[in-house]
Amino acid sequence: MTDAPTRPAPVVTGDRLAGKTAIVTGAARGLGRSCAVTFAAQGADVVLVDLAGDLPGVPYPLGSASQLAHTADLCAGYGVAAYPVEADVRDLAAVRAAVALAVARFGRVDVLVNNAGIAAPSGKPTHEITEAEWQLMLDVDLSGPWRMISAVGEVMCRQRAGSIVNVASTAGLVGYRHFAGYVAAKHGLVGLTRAAALDYAPLRVRVNALCPGSVRDDPHVEGRMLAEIARSLEVPVAEHEETFVQAQPMNALIEPGAVAQAALWLASDESAQVTGSVITVDGGFTTR
Amino acid sequence: MSAPHTPHPTEAARFCHAASARVAPDADADGLAEAYAVLTRRHGLAGGRLWVERVPAGLAVRRRDAELARPLPVGGPDLRAVLLRHDDGADLVLVARRHAVGRHRLGTLLAELTDPAAPGSSGSDADAPASASADVADASASDPDAGDTGWLRGDPGPDRPAAHIVAVPAGTDLAALVAAVGAVLARYRGVRRALVGAVVDERLAVVGVPVDGGARDLLATAAATGSPWPVAGGAPPAGFLDVEVGVLDAASPADAYRPCLAPLWPLTLALAGTTLTCHHRTAGWSGDLVAAFARQVVRVLGQVLADPDRPLAGHDLFDDAERAAIVALGRGPGGPPPAVDTIAGRVARHARRRPDAPAVSCAGQRLTYAQLDAAATRVARALAAHGVAPGDRVGVCLDRSVDLIAVLLGVLRAGAAYVPVDPAYPAERIRYTVEDSGVALLVGGGGIDPAGLTAGPDDAAGKEPAAGGPDDTAYVIYTSGSTGRPKGVCVPHRNVLALVDATAGDFGLGPADVWTMFHSSAFDFSVWEIWGCLLTGGHLVVVPHLVTRSPQEFHALLAAERVTVLNQTPSAFAQLLDVDRRAADRLAVRLVVFGGEPLDARMLTGWFDRHPERECRVVNMFGITETTVHVTAQTLDRGLALAGSRSVGRALPGWRVYVLDPDGRLLPPGAAGEIHVGGAGVADGYLHRPELTAQRFRPDPWAGGRMYRSGDRGRLLPDGRLEHLGRLDDQVKVRGYRIELDEIRQVLLDDPGVLAVAVVVQTGAESADTRLHAYVVLADPAAAGTAADPAAGAAVGARAATGVLAEVRRRAARMLPDYMVPATVTALPALPLTGNGKLDTARLPAPAELPASAPAPAADAALDERIRAVWQRVLGAEVGPEDNFFDLGGNSLLALRLLNELRDQGLADLTPRHLYVHQTVRGLAEAIGAAR
Repeated sequence: MTDAPTRPAPVVTGDRLAGKTAIVTGAARGLGRSCAVTFAAQGADVVLVDLAGDLPGVPYPLGSASQLAHTADLCAGYGVAAYPVEADVRDLAAVRAAVALAVARFGRVDVLVNNAGIAAPSGKPTHEITEAEWQLMLDVDLSGPWRMISAVGEVMCRQRAGSIVNVASTAGLVGYRHFAGYVAAKHGLVGLTRAAALDYAPLRVRVNALCPGSVRDDPHVEGRMLAEIARSLEVPVAEHEETFVQAQPMNALIEPGAVAQAALWLASDESAQVTGSVITVDGGFTTR
Repeated sequence: MSAPHTPHPTEAARFCHAASARVAPDADADGLAEAYAVLTRRHGLAGGRLWVERVPAGLAVRRRDAELARPLPVGGPDLRAVLLRHDDGADLVLVARRHAVGRHRLGTLLAELTDPAAPGSSGSDADAPASASADVADASASDPDAGDTGWLRGDPGPDRPAAHIVAVPAGTDLAALVAAVGAVLARYRGVRRALVGAVVDERLAVVGVPVDGGARDLLATAAATGSPWPVAGGAPPAGFLDVEVGVLDAASPADAYRPCLAPLWPLTLALAGTTLTCHHRTAGWSGDLVAAFARQVVRVLGQVLADPDRPLAGHDLFDDAERAAIVALGRGPGGPPPAVDTIAGRVARHARRRPDAPAVSCAGQRLTYAQLDAAATRVARALAAHGVAPGDRVGVCLDRSVDLIAVLLGVLRAGAAYVPVDPAYPAERIRYTVEDSGVALLVGGGGIDPAGLTAGPDDAAGKEPAAGGPDDTAYVIYTSGSTGRPKGVCVPHRNVLALVDATAGDFGLGPADVWTMFHSSAFDFSVWEIWGCLLTGGHLVVVPHLVTRSPQEFHALLAAERVTVLNQTPSAFAQLLDVDRRAADRLAVRLVVFGGEPLDARMLTGWFDRHPERECRVVNMFGITETTVHVTAQTLDRGLALAGSRSVGRALPGWRVYVLDPDGRLLPPGAAGEIHVGGAGVADGYLHRPELTAQRFRPDPWAGGRMYRSGDRGRLLPDGRLEHLGRLDDQVKVRGYRIELDEIRQVLLDDPGVLAVAVVVQTGAESADTRLHAYVVLADPAAAGTAADPAAGAAVGARAATGVLAEVRRRAARMLPDYMVPATVTALPALPLTGNGKLDTARLPAPAELPASAPAPAADAALDERIRAVWQRVLGAEVGPEDNFFDLGGNSLLALRLLNELRDQGLADLTPRHLYVHQTVRGLAEAIGAAR
């Protein structure tokens, strides 16, 4: 394992999202925390959604209530309002309640980052996946984003403005052995992105997908997805970074902050005419 | 896909206000939430719950201000309460929709929540929302005669809200503020009655402020004629928010109060005690403009408070320092010392210094400076021999030739003034000029033969010509005014020398330059061409008359003579551009000077592609015969060309520019008024017309000497450059609207298919008969069939061009209000020019009516026919069943006339709406038929 940096990557403050309200799912840690903090530093008030608990069938611990509260504290430190909301993206009523809270408190929802997702159960050939495993993976990684969009779509259409960022994966573009459920869900999310983009384009609501490559488990955002993918592939966790780096054209793992910067651009008005796009942040991985 | 639409957040924000107050650190949030629930229930307000948030240390003010700025969403509650707890206590922020909670009630609600001892009497609201009223008829903000708005200038960069704070005199109330704002606004807009927005007794009002009256009683009827605040999601009340500036009271007992969360009007002035906060968005009002406007409002406020009965028009906008700054802004940089010599004296000096340098050439004939000087001396002696004395005037009626230059210089050498007469002019005009000017002698044009003057012996026994001085008249040029007969402008030597001294350094004029003399000697642009060249030692290439008429031949001449300094009117240059685009020969032109008429800078991009700015400088100069050819100079580049800049630049060194209102007072930078010119270029006056001279040449109260009242509209930009806005008498009224033809021209020119445009007004017996006609030169003449006969200069192929022209018109109709859309668009191969190279409106052909569309089988031929006959009568044009009423020049007045006539004939009783829905004869006939 490479040495962890001693300090978190500096967050740039500014007003690129001033006056906007953003909902980020899976915000307790990892990419979700990275996006939330990056948005708050640019002036967005944030509603931070996370299950904040474990999920039966997922073989690793998910984000905790404490991690979610910590993300909220980090965001509030930038002088914005930050509301942690414990909700399961598999529960349509809970998802609607989270959006209703954002509307009641802030009056509008400008940005949705569909970041919540699971990487496992995985690690077996397609025919060995159980129906329950298959359903769980699609329910969280594909139907979850759809539920969020269904809850937020009406609000954004009424506003005639909004940006939805779906955090897919390079697994939404290429296949990975022994990850059929995950790859199918992420391909599905890319398809959902393209179709929804067309639905909402006349109303100036934008939908785009981000496809990160192998993201480093940055201890400052308490990331652990890459380690869980390694575990599914039975790669020794102590060596997993070296293993993944070998597949990278830039000879480096993807930093969560780099993904958050792409999400920031898609969230902001700077990308005003970008919709239906699938943007890779993968160090060139999928171009080979 | 359709969905209910929430207005843009700033739109909702305009109708919200917010206040905050401190809450004791030990306040119980639950108790407060309870109190809030009780209070909102008692007031019958939808207030939602109390939001309680914890704010990290050091961020209290930032968070409070952010909450104060957060508008309520449409469709949500009318009130929001947020408690922001921090280490030193807490701030309670209330945001309310103004129609539900007025200013006083918001303060009371806040007080009741933060101070439990406060009396719970807030139910008795003085400002309870008034019942909705339909009485919005007086909101005449869309007054067609509302004056100029071109002074409104935004900052570059993204639009953002901004605020500027000034102190106002003690005792300022809303009424005094409305009066002061109206007085200043009227000056900027050039109107006698300004419209100012105001919130009076919780109602939105538009207050008419007549500047001929005093400051009293302006708000007397404001509330009664005002409108209540719009309900959530409701449309803003028509008319009430369409004015540029509005005022409202922002006094509040709260710790912080925001009277609106986005500027209610583009410039919103909020008065709280002696503090005036000027809210604006930077795209509409730049920070500098707001600062100047506020400063002037404060100055007028002092005068209003001191004497409320004095007419507002009499108040001063400026103090001495600001007035001096505006005067300085219009003054050209530096300024050469006054000349002590004469034109002829300076040419003679060049002849002594560089006798063999080429001075003048024309069609193979060529004179060196020594030869020119000698020829002029011979002319002077011959004139003296003919009895011409110093101070006399000599008429010169000669074609462009070497002799013409020698004669002009000879007249000056004789101490006389030349009166140029264009031999191409009608005989009547020539006779008038000769008689009116009282010339001692006429050379050419039936007078004495020039050959006899220039061909005399060099060592003639005649006496040495008189020397003369800089104050002697050098020439008298006749100009046509918009009224009356042409009058002779007397310009002395010192003015011409000052003009050349003012420009020679900046333009780098010198012996290496080759100039053309393109323009008639009777057009004062030629004064600049001839003497700009010969006073700086350059080589003047006189362009024969026929060559000036052929852009191809002129371009070839420019290349062959290696001309470096080219002076053109924009109309003539447009034709040259076309040739240059296709020409193979390289030009040596390093300086192009525009003069004579307004320039459309956008036509220059193609020129810059072939002649980059670093190789050829392009200068637009504004000038008037009465101020010695030029007044200002603006060097153009691609950026200005793309922006379609109307700037004519700063005054020349020694020249001064003032923009004055009709009372002769300085206007603030940005405001449009009449251009006055003072300084080194002001002519001596009109020959034999002392009254007219006294009327147009006034004493210059700011710099001494005299200034010329130009009759041109313009505005001084804050950086001292002048924007020229055309002739004062070019402003025309169509159907009661004051319009600028230039604005229509600009829009038509934006069409990539259009190369050149002329717009003219055809006035009819009645106002509704006034029509605008456009003439265009299309980029693709084949499209319009105009290539058929380029020499004819008449409307050609109009029928073939219908599609293209209709598209040009449709495009204009998308950009312009309907009263500004030309009724017809006619394609021409080229715009006709006068001898001076300016647009010749008299030679424009009759407008081509858009041809009637081909007939198609009709459902009810008889009804169709009768309706069609009415259309044709009303429109005065041939109409086909599929023609669109508005495409054929129909406007709202003609529509009413059409509907009246249909009713009178018993055909149908329709409303204008029917015509807007069914815009063709066939469509209207079907609608009528179906209704029967």
